[in-house]
Amino acid sequence: MISLTSPVETRAHGWPAGAKLAALCLASTGLFLTDSLGLHLTALALVLVLYAAPGRVFFTAGMRHLRVVLPFVALLAIWHLITAELHAGVLIVLRMVVLVALANLVTMTTRLSEMTDLVHRLTAPLRRLGLPVHLLETAIPLVIRFIPVLVARAETLAEAWRARSRRRPGWRLIFPLMLHALDEADHVGEALRARGGPLGHTRPE
Amino acid sequence: MSDTASDDIRLDDLGYEIAGRPVLSGLTLATSARSIGVVGRNGSGKSTLARLMAGLLQPTSGTIRIHGHDLFRDRRAALETVGILFQNPEHQIIFPRVDEEIAFGLRQLGQSKTEAAEGARAVLAGFDKLHWQDATIAALSQGQKHLVCMMAVLAMRPRLMILDEPYAGLDIPTRRQLQRYLNRADTRLFHISHDPADLADCAQVFWLDQGRIVAQGAPCPVLADFTAEMNRLGELDDLADLAG
Amino acid sequence: MERDLARIALFAALIAALGLVPQITLGFGVPITAQTLGVMLAGAVLGAWRGAAAAGLLLLLVALGLPLLSGGRGGLGVFVGPTAGFALGFPVAAFATGLFVEHVRLRSAGLTAGLGAVFGGILILYLLGATGLSIVIDKPLAEAFRLVAVFIPGDLLKAVITGLLVQALAQARPQALDWYRGGAAAGARRL
Repeated sequence: MISLTSPVETRAHGWPAGAKLAALCLASTGLFLTDSLGLHLTALALVLVLYAAPGRVFFTAGMRHLRVVLPFVALLAIWHLITAELHAGVLIVLRMVVLVALANLVTMTTRLSEMTDLVHRLTAPLRRLGLPVHLLETAIPLVIRFIPVLVARAETLAEAWRARSRRRPGWRLIFPLMLHALDEADHVGEALRARGGPLGHTRPE
Repeated sequence: MSDTASDDIRLDDLGYEIAGRPVLSGLTLATSARSIGVVGRNGSGKSTLARLMAGLLQPTSGTIRIHGHDLFRDRRAALETVGILFQNPEHQIIFPRVDEEIAFGLRQLGQSKTEAAEGARAVLAGFDKLHWQDATIAALSQGQKHLVCMMAVLAMRPRLMILDEPYAGLDIPTRRQLQRYLNRADTRLFHISHDPADLADCAQVFWLDQGRIVAQGAPCPVLADFTAEMNRLGELDDLADLAG
Repeated sequence: MERDLARIALFAALIAALGLVPQITLGFGVPITAQTLGVMLAGAVLGAWRGAAAAGLLLLLVALGLPLLSGGRGGLGVFVGPTAGFALGFPVAAFATGLFVEHVRLRSAGLTAGLGAVFGGILILYLLGATGLSIVIDKPLAEAFRLVAVFIPGDLLKAVITGLLVQALAQARPQALDWYRGGAAAGARRL
């Protein structure tokens, strides 16, 4: 499974994940609390500098991840041109773009393993409240392990369909795929039990 | 043959039903052989027997004692006593990476994260596969996945290794290599197969048919009879019969 | 317990796979990805708690930086962007779908699941999605709702498919549906 972490090594890769997440929360809250256009423009400039600093490859990858907000930028632009509330429109667009860009920046500069460790640290207190968060230690790798398995299964099903039909397979493949997922769950549940259940679980005698 | 109960595999009038239909019935055996083979056709109840032996299923009737333990009830003893290798490695591998998969069992035995990672490396080194540790499971071939399963189970140092048709669908060189790794491992084997050739090296063989043991003894005579019977059945058309 | 954990993980993987596999799109002009269908199925098959856990687990992996939402979207940006309400709504939608199938008894499993999907996967999900959108683009909820309403027909189709799939599952493998067993003895006898 390929994570969205940037392969371009930046200085921010070395910063603690918790600090980056805290900074993101702070910056996001800050932007929501102010209506100053100047502050928003400064924030945008700062974000662009952060994206540009590690070099061209990092910058283009970052901009590609931002494309998903483009339809909303266009939508807001048209809306505010019609209602003639330009100041408000620019503010909303800037806020949206900066927020998403900052959040993506944390993702791009933090490795999957560090993120996972952070989740374990953040969820540890919940365990004392009786929530079974220790199961995440087994559940997260299980999902990562089985996504390619299910994708491959969907592709062989599509192939088997095409071998005998000229119509597109579409949703009809979902039933066998779902049965496959249920069967795999039974098998892996058994394999898990054969080797002592999920991690971090205190076994009954 | 030793007579101490702790070294034995004992099945006493073992039965197992699925939805009221008997899959295994009246299985009684006691053995302390070092390598045990069970031969039978598809649907003879072999896989169910493997799961019962590993303590994954609860018998409908009768008892199983492996080295003196009831492994369905006592899961801690089960982890230290038996390992099971399933037919399809896809059904067994839980983690996306080779080292995680091997370390998992070690952590289940109570080792810390770092100890388990260390142990996984030692196992990989023992198999001369240290370069596999960061490999993703999805990138491995079928035979390599089988070997990962084997390493993951052997890492837990089970006293008895249950093999549920582990070689089905593998080519001859892969089979031979896996067999060699297994023979080298210091563990008892309980090997279940439909192919008599897999079981020729066993010390003792049981023939399972329709949930019952129909013959047992040294591999030579039992497997020869089994092969003759299978060839005879091959002439008939019992594929037409529906179960139940 | 192991089986529940495995099912939750496998359905999280199924929701991801349904958003990633190009062959599984619902045609009709614009290809609609089947990801929210996966969310509806998680609730309708696994029930409220386990369905919500499956969708939540997927979101956690997205937050960790894996591109598992349809179109290869992922990362923390998903949770502050305009569609954040929909993403965060996935576990709630699965929960609501599951709650519906667990408590409402209708003629067939398929009908129950289909209506459950309309309730959880459309009503609840759009409520949360439109709320999220209205916050991010700073518009009244009614306006935000009008913007996303174009996608409702596609999701109604997914609810129908959820019903068909669960009906097929109830016939092929009734033991896979925990909620169906109790009230379905009569239905099973009719078969």
